[in-house]
Amino acid sequence: MTDNRFTFDGQSVTAKRGQSLAAALTDAGHRTFRTTAKSAERGIFCGMGVCQDCLVSIDGQPNQRACMSLASDGMTVTRQVPFPAFSGTAAKAGAPLTLAPDVLVIGGGAGGLSAGIAAARAGADVVLLDERKVSGGQYYKQAADGVVLDGQQRDGADLVAAAKSAGITILSGVELWGAFDDLLFMAQQGDRAIIARPKTAIVATGAYERPVMVPGWTLPGVMTTGAAQTLWRSYQSLAGKRLAICGSGPLNLQVAVELARGGATIVRLAERAAHPVTRPLQAARMAVSGPALAMKGLKMEWALRRLGGTVRYGSDLIGVAQCGNALAATFQSSDGTRDTIEVDVVCMNAGFEPQNEILRLLGVSMHYDPAMGHLRCHTDDAMQTNIRGLYAVGDCKGLGGAPAACDEGVIAGTHAAAAAGFGDAYDLHSVRRRLTGHRRFQSRLWPLYDIAPRQAADMPSDTIICRCEELTLDDIRTGLDDKPGHAGTLKRATRVGMGRCQGRYCGPVAARMVAETTGKPIENLSFFAPRVPIKPVAISSIFAAEEAVREKT
Amino acid sequence: MKKPEVIVIGGGVTGTVAALTLAEAGASVMLIDEGVNAGSGANAGSLHVQMQSRFMRLYPDQVPNVEAALPFYRMAAEEWVRLDKDLGGIELVRKGGLMLAETEEQLAFLSKKAEREAAQGLSVEILNREALDRIAPWLGLQIIGAELCRDEGKLNPLIANRLLGARAAAVGVRRLAGRVTALRPTPQGIELETAHETLTADKVVVAAAWGAGALVHGFGVSLPTKAEPLHMNITEPGAPVINHLVQHAERSITLKQFSTGQIVIGGGWPATTAGWSAPPTVISGSMLQNVALAAHLAPAISNLRVIRTWAGMNTTIDGASVIGPLPASDRIVMAVPGDAGYTLGPLVGRIAAQLAMGDMGEIDVGRFSPARFAT
Repeated sequence: MTDNRFTFDGQSVTAKRGQSLAAALTDAGHRTFRTTAKSAERGIFCGMGVCQDCLVSIDGQPNQRACMSLASDGMTVTRQVPFPAFSGTAAKAGAPLTLAPDVLVIGGGAGGLSAGIAAARAGADVVLLDERKVSGGQYYKQAADGVVLDGQQRDGADLVAAAKSAGITILSGVELWGAFDDLLFMAQQGDRAIIARPKTAIVATGAYERPVMVPGWTLPGVMTTGAAQTLWRSYQSLAGKRLAICGSGPLNLQVAVELARGGATIVRLAERAAHPVTRPLQAARMAVSGPALAMKGLKMEWALRRLGGTVRYGSDLIGVAQCGNALAATFQSSDGTRDTIEVDVVCMNAGFEPQNEILRLLGVSMHYDPAMGHLRCHTDDAMQTNIRGLYAVGDCKGLGGAPAACDEGVIAGTHAAAAAGFGDAYDLHSVRRRLTGHRRFQSRLWPLYDIAPRQAADMPSDTIICRCEELTLDDIRTGLDDKPGHAGTLKRATRVGMGRCQGRYCGPVAARMVAETTGKPIENLSFFAPRVPIKPVAISSIFAAEEAVREKT
Repeated sequence: MKKPEVIVIGGGVTGTVAALTLAEAGASVMLIDEGVNAGSGANAGSLHVQMQSRFMRLYPDQVPNVEAALPFYRMAAEEWVRLDKDLGGIELVRKGGLMLAETEEQLAFLSKKAEREAAQGLSVEILNREALDRIAPWLGLQIIGAELCRDEGKLNPLIANRLLGARAAAVGVRRLAGRVTALRPTPQGIELETAHETLTADKVVVAAAWGAGALVHGFGVSLPTKAEPLHMNITEPGAPVINHLVQHAERSITLKQFSTGQIVIGGGWPATTAGWSAPPTVISGSMLQNVALAAHLAPAISNLRVIRTWAGMNTTIDGASVIGPLPASDRIVMAVPGDAGYTLGPLVGRIAAQLAMGDMGEIDVGRFSPARFAT
């Protein structure tokens, strides 16, 4: 395997083949990728292309996400400045690609791959658009170099292989930015525009992680648990030597074990919820509905302790501060006692937010799930939404886990193919029965954790809520004083949600703050109005898409 | 003497300035705004003074009205300059507006237009490519010249709206969330019907933009106010390079750079509206063509990413503003700006407020009287 060499702010960096820029820079000890308008430093946060905080300039082109960019030989990479010079010359792009498949699958994770396989096996022409360069999604996280670490990655590799042998056209590194009426989708793949007008579409865009918003959560070195997991599972990069992991949910424990096995010291795994032994009845119900998974969880905890990791229940992160090269992370226990530990990296996951932008844009009906703190999308037995020909599967509908996403995918793929004229969508009984089991397990799993979103009232007023616009809770409260009305009014009054991540982290908080102030219940319209582009899209890509659409008509 | 009770309908820039002017003049003022379908709230902050080619193309019959009102536009821009100082900074930059030409025909059109505008007192000049290279080197190579209108500029409407709202509150304007559905004259004043209650006022200022026509229907005028849902795009920040408000001689576009470094692209591309209570929605074709045109005119911005789009409401009438009391009731004073309503808003709001207080003011707005729509 040959290594790649590139420079970062003039310093030479070596990258393993297939590594993302973010991973290579992490291996080389670089943590700050950009500075903000207020001179704050930022680095990797979400690790999956959502937060837009790891922006660097590559070969003079600013606004490139290090987490989504491949490190290549000879690249000149620099930290991104707040107001980069325009680098465009003439608008040029690759020849646009126009697609009209029977079934368009959006998302290459558990749900999307399963849906695509089912539809292709029924005989439909299937195109799958995947944001990542390597398929598998966030659950199956495949290694960039193809090395398989464990059973979870093996299952994912099998699924990807099945998708390929089923004859699905998988387009990787594709960012979908536009969804319009009558199932018209627009995307970019590098500098190429993609326009898709499928007969049916299956949205399988998954979820992103809900952070633990505390003072200091924007510091370089503070990242989502999934970001640290991607660095390790996809690129064999350890985010740091000494880690604290906080929030709530089984992913934190799993990643703690994975990173400990990889050589990191888990100085603390802080789980917000109390220990399951304090709630034996709930724990027993969960164990009965998924004995194998319950046992797996127990074994992981034992493994973590054996590897020298410390687990604390009823413990919550309340702040992070820079302390030399290290981070000082302060925790508070349920009895109120506080302590501070020094670590390289703080990982956080306090639940998930569905990536439901496409669904909301197209007018799919939703309801608010207060226990999970996010919207859930309505689908019928065929996984079809209220929009004809538009199906939704997996976590983008509201959190349900990868096994359920797989089964929903099979159902949606089979039905979408049937709607396009392939097969009859009979004989899904066993899949439906299995799905019911997965859903039962999920419904008993989450009550053992503590992922209900935190009330703004409980946060310190200097906590940054909007990472992009660098707005604190106090800034947003001032906006509420003026005219609370709606999240959109609050946005215009304070700029909350106006940045590059398009309100993905601050949006849910803003919606809840408005709801608290107005006393109105939270529903679909409480959140920022869904708008194209779903992700930032280069003007040159829009230019190319416009040419393609114009030539077509 | 009892303070006059005045209700202002519409909480956009026009209504807010009307309300604060009234309060400063000693009235007891309530401002009613529905707070949903944004006009001023969705505005992108262009200060328009020269005749917009988009408008001339779409509404040729209204051009004489706009042309006659050009000095009024210049005064409106001056009003914003005063507000910028008064409010303590709304990021107003007045380096002029460029209307671009790609062909000799377009340049000839601009030259004629510039002559007409100069006759109305505007500070305009035709620039060749060499002159453009000095002030806007980022323009596409195909641009052969432009009309520069020095009266034009840009401002940050988010800040302006917030500061104006705060000023209104500070001088005692009370704000009520709601929609007025009907106006009724009584011997003592005017009754206003809302969904929840009936309010009374000595005077009413109608600053309800596209909703104004329906409100005053039955008061002896037929006001053809029309809502025009429009689309806007905004990019991520870049180095400050674009100083001017940029338009085109033939095609619909406005392009400018905010002090945040972000580039705002708009210029009247249509959006759709789903009625009163739902926000207007974006049309794919508008986004594609609007942004593609921007890339064509300013290739330097091609690598920036569009991070957001939105839609807002413009109001069209007959090209001119509607300012002053209704023929049927001098208790109802209209404050509806003509084309480029955000530019005209503060001036229209202030004048309407003065008229409501019986002050004829320094500007003759007889030509903008609602009497021209008498039925």
